[in-house]
Amino acid sequence: MSNNERPKDPQGAGMWQRDLRRRTFLRSAGLGFGSVALNLLLNKEAMAAPAAGDEGVLKELHFPPRAKRIIHLCMAGGPSQLESFDYKPRLKELDGQPFPESFTAGQQLAQLQNTPLKAFGPQAEFRKWGASGQEISELFPEIGGIADQICILRSLHTEQINHDPAHAFMNSGSIIKGRPSMGSWLLYGLGNATENLPGFVVMTSTSRCGGAQPISARQWSAGFLPSRFQGVQFQSRGAAVHYIGNPEGVCQSAQRQLIDEVNQLNRLANERYRDPELETRIAQYELAARMQTSIPELTDFSGETQETLDLYGVKQPGDGSFASNCLLARRLAERGVRMIQLYHRSWDHHGNLKSDMAIAARDVDRASAALVRDLQRLGMLDETIVIWGGEFGRTPMGQGNGRDHHILSMCAWVAGGGFRGGLTYGATDELGYRAVEDPVSVHDLHATLLRQFGVDHKRLTYRYQGRDFRLTDVSGEIVTEICQPS
Amino acid sequence: MNRRTRANAEWLASRGRWLCSLIGWLASVSAASLTAQDAVPRYNREIRPLLAEHCFACHGPDAAQRQADLRLDDRAAALAAGALDPDDWSASELLARIESSDPELMMPPPEAQKPLQANDRQAIRRWVLAGAAYEQHWAYVPPVRPNLPAVVENQSQHPIDRLIDQSLAKQGLSPAPLAEPELLLRRLCLDLTGLPPTPGQIAAWREDHSPAAYARLVDDLLGSPHFGERMAPAWLDVVRYADTVGYHGDQNQNVFPYRDWVVESFNRNLPFDQFTLQQLAGDLLPNPTPADLTASCFNRLNMMTREGGAQPKEYLAKYSADRVRTVAGAWLGSTLGCAECHDHKYDPFQMKDFYRMAAYFADLRQWGVYQDYGYTPNPDLRGWSNDHPFPPEIQVEVPYLRQRLARLAQERERAALEAAGRLLATQREEVLGWLNATDRFLQTYPSGWQPLPPIPSGEFEFPAAGSLKLTAEKLDSVSFTIEPPGFAIQSLRLELLPHADGADSIHPNPDQRMNLTFSWELQGADGAKTPLKIHFADAAAKLPAYYNNAEQLGMGNTWRVPGRVPPGSSAVWALDEPLRLQPDQRLVITLKGTAARMLRWSASPLVPLDLRQPGEFGWGLAPVLDVPLLSSSSVVARQMALAISPAERQTLRSIEGSMRECRDGKAWVQVSQPMNQPLVTRVLPRGDWTNETGEVVAPGVPAFLNGGRSEPLSNSSGPKVAPAEAIETRLDLARWLVAPENPLTARVQVNRLWKHFFGAGLSAVLDDFGIQGQYPTHPDLLDWLAVEFRERAWDTKHIVRLIVTSQAYQRSSQPTAAARERDPKNLWLAHQNARRLEAEIVRDQALAAAGLLVVDVGGPPVFPYQPPGYYSQLQFPDRDYPEQRDDRRYRRSVYMHWQRTFLHPLLANFDAPPREECTGMRTEANTPLQALTLLNDPGFIEAATGLARIALATAESDRQRLERLFERVLSRRPMAAELDSLLAFLASQREHFQAHPEDAAKLPRPIPGLLPAPADPVELAAWVSVGRAVLNLHETITRY
Repeated sequence: MSNNERPKDPQGAGMWQRDLRRRTFLRSAGLGFGSVALNLLLNKEAMAAPAAGDEGVLKELHFPPRAKRIIHLCMAGGPSQLESFDYKPRLKELDGQPFPESFTAGQQLAQLQNTPLKAFGPQAEFRKWGASGQEISELFPEIGGIADQICILRSLHTEQINHDPAHAFMNSGSIIKGRPSMGSWLLYGLGNATENLPGFVVMTSTSRCGGAQPISARQWSAGFLPSRFQGVQFQSRGAAVHYIGNPEGVCQSAQRQLIDEVNQLNRLANERYRDPELETRIAQYELAARMQTSIPELTDFSGETQETLDLYGVKQPGDGSFASNCLLARRLAERGVRMIQLYHRSWDHHGNLKSDMAIAARDVDRASAALVRDLQRLGMLDETIVIWGGEFGRTPMGQGNGRDHHILSMCAWVAGGGFRGGLTYGATDELGYRAVEDPVSVHDLHATLLRQFGVDHKRLTYRYQGRDFRLTDVSGEIVTEICQPS
Repeated sequence: MNRRTRANAEWLASRGRWLCSLIGWLASVSAASLTAQDAVPRYNREIRPLLAEHCFACHGPDAAQRQADLRLDDRAAALAAGALDPDDWSASELLARIESSDPELMMPPPEAQKPLQANDRQAIRRWVLAGAAYEQHWAYVPPVRPNLPAVVENQSQHPIDRLIDQSLAKQGLSPAPLAEPELLLRRLCLDLTGLPPTPGQIAAWREDHSPAAYARLVDDLLGSPHFGERMAPAWLDVVRYADTVGYHGDQNQNVFPYRDWVVESFNRNLPFDQFTLQQLAGDLLPNPTPADLTASCFNRLNMMTREGGAQPKEYLAKYSADRVRTVAGAWLGSTLGCAECHDHKYDPFQMKDFYRMAAYFADLRQWGVYQDYGYTPNPDLRGWSNDHPFPPEIQVEVPYLRQRLARLAQERERAALEAAGRLLATQREEVLGWLNATDRFLQTYPSGWQPLPPIPSGEFEFPAAGSLKLTAEKLDSVSFTIEPPGFAIQSLRLELLPHADGADSIHPNPDQRMNLTFSWELQGADGAKTPLKIHFADAAAKLPAYYNNAEQLGMGNTWRVPGRVPPGSSAVWALDEPLRLQPDQRLVITLKGTAARMLRWSASPLVPLDLRQPGEFGWGLAPVLDVPLLSSSSVVARQMALAISPAERQTLRSIEGSMRECRDGKAWVQVSQPMNQPLVTRVLPRGDWTNETGEVVAPGVPAFLNGGRSEPLSNSSGPKVAPAEAIETRLDLARWLVAPENPLTARVQVNRLWKHFFGAGLSAVLDDFGIQGQYPTHPDLLDWLAVEFRERAWDTKHIVRLIVTSQAYQRSSQPTAAARERDPKNLWLAHQNARRLEAEIVRDQALAAAGLLVVDVGGPPVFPYQPPGYYSQLQFPDRDYPEQRDDRRYRRSVYMHWQRTFLHPLLANFDAPPREECTGMRTEANTPLQALTLLNDPGFIEAATGLARIALATAESDRQRLERLFERVLSRRPMAAELDSLLAFLASQREHFQAHPEDAAKLPRPIPGLLPAPADPVELAAWVSVGRAVLNLHETITRY
């Protein structure tokens, strides 16, 4: 898709009231449905029209929004900050020496507990990049090339030291199963801006190097939110979605007639059962129908120029690589998908860090930077957040020739969507052990991301088991310093 | 933060003063509030959840987060800290704090944003004033049968109803009316068998749906073999049963007989205590039966690896932890797995408990890495590849395979006789010629085999007629040239004879193994050779070859001869088509790499029934062949058809191929096998398998669940196998799990059963009965059922019968207006719960309604349609999904191949778990992927085709046909509006397919074994559309 075909923002930049023109009939809950359904039966035309995307519960946003969508490049396994975005010359000096106990006493460790702790110097050289002079390791030259577009968070920290709970914490702000992930919260609050695709799409890719850890589908669960807000995983090879094609002998119009009939009968059944799941089912059939036309078009890369493929480093579109997934993410973003999450499983470098991290970095460096560049080229970066980071950081102490899981310091970067570029925020101590300057918690990060969507994290809540839950649980402070001024 | 610290300091300093000023006021309000309220709130039911939600985060078990050195989860600690005042309960600081409105003092503090509601504060007050009685966690106290409430006039006397109706009355809710009869029928059939009622069942039910008829129906369904198929999946989720090992190459594993055992156990109503004993310790029972050993496969269902570079010790630790999590989840409903690296955060499980539990399984014969690598040598599995099994295994009889084999044998007989009839009619001359020639052959060679004197290329001797002797020690290559024998060769046979006169072995070294590799060529008059195709080859004595853990059927070009085979052992090759050598043609067989000594070749114009038994042609003595015999003897008819008709040969070979796949009615299954010397189990500090500094532990159960002792109580049911000083075994563990003192097992299992029939457990979190779980909505009912289960000899069908005969079960799933308003989650069960059918049932129901379901019970995993390419990322070995296109594609979904890393998308889309971990509860999503599956999966198009054929099978009006089709799926007649809508849809589809006849020809799917499609493809296609519409309805995949 070329530049001038890009869907235009129908709203002016200063407008932040939600557009309420979209039809809302399918959103009505429970008791209200009977009368709506009856109206529909009286109005064949209305019924035949496609259902609207889900409206969000927020009728008015709390702040002027900067972002409309987010692409989360999830570096699954926990990439080392010390070979990427947190330069620690002092650690290099101490390489091989006992790690000062003043840092580590009483702190949670994973596999390094009860073992002698030794400093493990950075295994990569760092350089200053761009006009902003941000320090980024030479393993990431392409990301270095967009240094002026990204804001590096050096003082991020988390609470969870194992992969699965750490992912859960990063996605849902909680380790308890059944809590909604951020994509589900966004859909619940803001609605699905595309009528043809799921509003929350997940893809995975895997490196050939060591360090791949499994990812559970629970990570994109809607938890206690209605299940239509859950993430949908696309296969990164072959047909993106199983069963996306019509059966043999069924053309689009016949399929449409069938879906209309199914939904018509489901509406009749709802007069009998008044079942909220029935309503959801009707909406899901509409979405399925739209996906059947939109997904083949979405995954058809033939309109992409060789230049674009080269920009991302896509060798074979749809080959399941991180690069291919990034390009698909841009295509999803163009179509209004609210949250796109790409997991690249390759960063759990307990050992062989130097060689495996180089491989993992090569897997993602070009495509990550290309995504930012491409969004900027298309004029979409301002309204699209790109966030790059893992579920936790890694220890400045060595574990053989690798690093263990670490929660007190980790790095991420954000770009676009109202974030300031060319900025490094926060700092760790001289050995990179702990975030000491302007620490940013996962809840702070969530609060800030929601803020860019115009949402006050304290006011996007859902009552469940008698309690109003929110993504940030009971904490979260907006990090205003990394946001562009209003 | 500072402010809070300050406030707490002030509290500690000024507690006394502060309290005195409040006492009078508190005393004055307490009397009034007490009289106005009900009974004292119970700690477990009302108070602990409040304290946990509002207080424990800062004043709970987690010392790291604790504020002001106060913990409220422990009565002694709360008393010691002064939060509770035993001298004057009303003066308790706890009450003062929660009732304060001073932001500096109030609890929870305003910034916590967890304010207590007024009625919560009052409940805490009432509880404190009554003496702040703490209770042990409800699930850790053995259940005692509670008294049932008195029977209320005109209300159900059923024990379940008495307890449910009592709580409904307390809540001021009235029960919903009973469900409509047809809906109830469908509910019961789906819940007990996973299949919709048949038209006959519906008709009978319409005649009589009295309570007596209901009771009879329940008995019928409980007696159905489909009961086990319906109940098994929930257990298979819990024990993480899957057909692949899960790690790395995710290779197949041999476990399906265990799955069949589970199905069969539910069908036979094996008491749950036996069910437990056999799974955990079937191999330790005295004189274990094959069924006991099959059950012990439970201990072998953990994920396994054979990845190169994997550390055996690390994986043994993983397997061990996996077992602990599973046993704790399956029987104890507990998250003991949390204690692998540290003491449990919420429950009293200690890290040591985890490893003591693990130690029970340290006797299992297993390997960390199921392969032999240079860097991780494994002498036990020398030569093992990615294709080999995961031992130890035993071979067991599989009734399904035996029955299938018998059925196929009958099919072969029928096919042979039918073929003979056809050929006599169409190719009489050839038939007579064959009879004549074969009769003459058998008179000369009654064994069916003619020895061939081959012309060898190398150094041979001919010690006796027809045999030859290799004289070289080992030949790289030798060829035999065979002259025309005078008949069309169908089979060739090689016998290995005694290496010398009077010898009792085929080689001077009896242990000698041999790899004999053959190639086959036809040599023309000009000497040019063309390869000859072999249809199939086999030998009774051969070393197995494997692919993805299945022993290969037959043999390829190589006969791998084991050591010590008896002389006379043969291999037989069936040629792809009969070979009549012309006088100037020769058959040249080249043999490579042999250490064989004495050989004999023979040929036959016949094909043995089973190539492993070359002497067996199905007749006793060689028969006199004549025409009448062809219509009475299927074995003769078979030989004739194979010899003269390529088409009949293909039919017969297809049946015989299926027969071979039955593997003689046997299969291998992974089992538990105890080692004499169990592995040493240590506590692994922080779960780190490399750390060997931890304490060595013996098997034992969590002491807090066992009166403080880690050894199972001596009065556990059954005699102990081990003497007092001997170490505990898995059998002891199993007995403890089902001992009367065990507080959890019976509750956990009846709660699981309850969820099956109500969509939610009485305690909502099935897999966590700990502090973080849910206090039961009906604790008395849960305990009553648990005790009933245990005291009635763990009779599962009894509990199921109790549940489904209750009024509560039979109620409408439509909430009343009051229930919708006041109990939207239906905690109090004023009505039934609608729930979406499980993945397996979504598919099974469609197949059953369409008349396609093949109702065989048990057997190897089945492979219905799956989107192509899905396994392309699987390696070690590379593989394709072996889709089955015969009757097996219509078998029930409980038998579908369960690939852990790439679960069948139909199953995954409908929320079936990959079974990598013990899964107590499936999610119930509602997604577009489900819509796409029902709309587009070819399996559902086939089901729609089946429905269309059923609809069109009788001469009726569209309306009647629609009613019948609709009823087959939904067990009810369509409403008028539904009927009108479907009639209009049918008309539109007719119109559409009339305009697009090419589509009409494509849409209906061919269905093997069913009648050919009706004459009018447009009509059929239009009805397929109707079938699709009905199969896609929400009601269809919902059990209301």
